[in-house]
Parts: sequence; C-alpha cells; structure tokens
Amino acid sequence: MVIDTHVRPALFAPICENGEAFQKRCDNMNYHLMKPANISLLKKQFGLADIQKVFLLPSDCSYHTGTAEISNDDIAKLVELEPDMFIGFASADPRNRNAAQELERAFADLKLSGLYLNTARLQISPEDERLYAFYNLCRKYGKPIIFHAGLSLETNALAKYARPADFEKILYDYPDINICLTHVGWPWVQETAALLMKYPNAYTNTALMSFDGPYQIFHKVFREDMGELWVEHNIADKIMFGSDSPRIRPVRSKRGLDSLNFTEETREKIDYRNALHFLGRED
Amino acid sequence: MQFRLKENSVCAEKEFELIKITSEVRDFIAETGIRNGICYIISEHTTTGITVNESLPCVEKDLLEGLDRLVPEDYPYNHNHYLPTYGTIGGNAPGHLKSLLTGICSVFPVVNGELMLGHAADIYFCEYDGVKNRHYMIYIMGE
Repeated sequence: MVIDTHVRPALFAPICENGEAFQKRCDNMNYHLMKPANISLLKKQFGLADIQKVFLLPSDCSYHTGTAEISNDDIAKLVELEPDMFIGFASADPRNRNAAQELERAFADLKLSGLYLNTARLQISPEDERLYAFYNLCRKYGKPIIFHAGLSLETNALAKYARPADFEKILYDYPDINICLTHVGWPWVQETAALLMKYPNAYTNTALMSFDGPYQIFHKVFREDMGELWVEHNIADKIMFGSDSPRIRPVRSKRGLDSLNFTEETREKIDYRNALHFLGRED
Repeated sequence: MQFRLKENSVCAEKEFELIKITSEVRDFIAETGIRNGICYIISEHTTTGITVNESLPCVEKDLLEGLDRLVPEDYPYNHNHYLPTYGTIGGNAPGHLKSLLTGICSVFPVVNGELMLGHAADIYFCEYDGVKNRHYMIYIMGE
C-alpha cells in the first residue's frame, strides 16, 4: 500500500463544475492546458502506483483572490465521495478577519484531518502572529500541519517565506503537533534534513518537482544533496511518499523513489507507515 | 462517394497497453453501408499509436517489452524538465518516442463491405502514457 501525502485536487471533476472558477484556480495555481478528470479515472491513475489513500491539499489565498481556489467545502465534498481513499486537509487565509473561525469550522464541522498552509503564496512568515491562532487550533483539535516548504511554482509565491529553517520556531514551539515540510524543502534540502534529524515532530514528503525527470531528481536529492546513508540511518521515520500531482504523475514519482533501492523496511515507512504516524493513526 | 467519420473513446486499464479495436472498425464499416473504399484509423494523441499485429498475449507482451528496451523509462530525455506552458514536469518522452515508432494511423481497403485485414492481424490502439481518456478516429471514404 502507498499513501500519497501531496495531491492538489485542482482537476478533480466534482469540484470543477464552475468553468470560470476552474480557470481562475488554474491561473492562480499555475496549472495549464489540462482538463478535469472524473474520480474513476483518478482512481485508476492512483492505482498504477498502488496508492490507496490520498491527502487532498486545499488552496486559500482569498484575501487577495476573493475566494479560495480549493476551499474547505471542496475538500469535504471530495472526502464525502471517497471516504476510504481521501484524507482532507483544511486551510484558511490568516489575513481574513474570520480566518480562525473558518479553520475551526473545517475541523469541528467538516471533520478535516489537518491544516495545509503555503506561506510562500500568502507571503507571510511562518512566525507571523496571525498564524499562531491556527497553530493553537491544531493543538486543540490534535491536527497535524503540512507547510509548503521551498520553491513554490504557484503564481505570486515567494520562496523566501517558505525556507525550511524558518519553520524551526514552529517545530520548537509545538512539539506536540506533527509538522510536514513538503518537497524536502527543495532547494534547501540540507536545511530540511537537519530539522528532520533534530525534531521528533518534523516530517517531509517526496513531492519533488523541478529539474529533471524522477530518476534524476530523486538521485540528486537523496544521494547527492543528502549523504548516501542519511535516509537509512537517520531519517527513515520522517519521510512520506508524496507525488505533487497534478504537476507530476504519481506513478512516475513512485518510479523515481523505486530507483533509489531503499531497504524494504525503509520503503514501508516511506510508502505508508510514516504517513499513518503523521496523522496519529496506528498502523 | 461518401466520407464518413466516427470518433471513438478509449481508456486503458494500465499505463502501457495494447487495446484491440478491430471489431469497432468493422462495426463502423457495416454501419456506413460503404461497399468499396478505404478506411483510415487515426489516433488524436502524440503519446499513443495505432498499429497492426497478431493478437496473442505473448506477442502483445513482446511488443511492449521490445518498445521498453528501445525507449527506456530512465533515460535522461530532453523533455524531462519543468514546462511553464503546463506548470508540470515533462515525463512522457518515452510515450512520444513509442508513438513515433508505431505511428498514429493505419489504413486498409474496404472491399465488398469487408475490412481487408490479414487472417492473423488485429488493429490496436496503443496506450503509451496512460491512464487517460483517449480518442481515435475512423474515417471511411468510398461508395
């Protein structure tokens, strides 16, 4: 079994019914020339990589854009359609006056499973005081946090607001909350690895996209940017599989991971065990 | 002279798959009533193919494995990079090259209302970049 911890459901047909909103979402998230896909086709695509559970990550920069590109209600709608497969994350734009209430609604009423934030897109520091209300809600409801970390390909996103080292204070202040810094914080891979080594609550995922095909980028990150044995000897419990679909097809991302030939024990952890621990679920 | 076009949908179950479409072509020839002419089968995509071969599971497997040897997945293709026009990473260079190798169309005579196809031959839609919703055209000219 594989759990994909990084899917943006921008092209999931059940939430693409409004053509104008769909186009605006694609423009803001920087997805182009792609069509919506229905759930049965998506399940086939996930099945190619043996993916049985999927984290659905929202997108909310509504202070600037007016409405969330992928709202909490969109995520809840998808989870309701496939409750055994989809694990929905919530978001809110902390610059909105009612942001904390919206996040609490997503946890309490919509029963979403965690918080997703892209501080690069929001252009605010992870230590911005407005975000502490969010972090405290995660503590109150026992929810993990997924932060976009490193370069963001979304429109109007600045990587300086998502540098891995800048999340250290949150890891330090909230040791009881599991926190994922996505994309191995690329290109700041070593900063991410250092945080993974030190903080028990720090996680990352393999949502690598940027230069090269999957074979080359996985080798570069996990065999060159990191020491050859760092994963097996240090951080095997901290890495989760994530594809970054729709920027890269999940089956291709998994092929890149396969090419690293990690031990079977490590692969089980990366494939699904670490994701279950991250969510606070027993495996 | 008649000119008749049909667009069919197809969706593979696997990432790489040969899907037999011979009966769909024969059915459309019968539907048109065209007795003598020519029939084209054309894929609309650049990471798929249309080809003819013998419909044995072992042969189908050899065809796909042979293409994999010619066009390996892990080669550092030029297409493997960030594509600003899509916002995605180009990852389907092998599909484009396999499409080049098989071509995207086949053509056959229609004589006395029958598709002129060798006794061991079947027509395949070749998926090299699945799974996606795909389309191919059957175009018949004749009378």
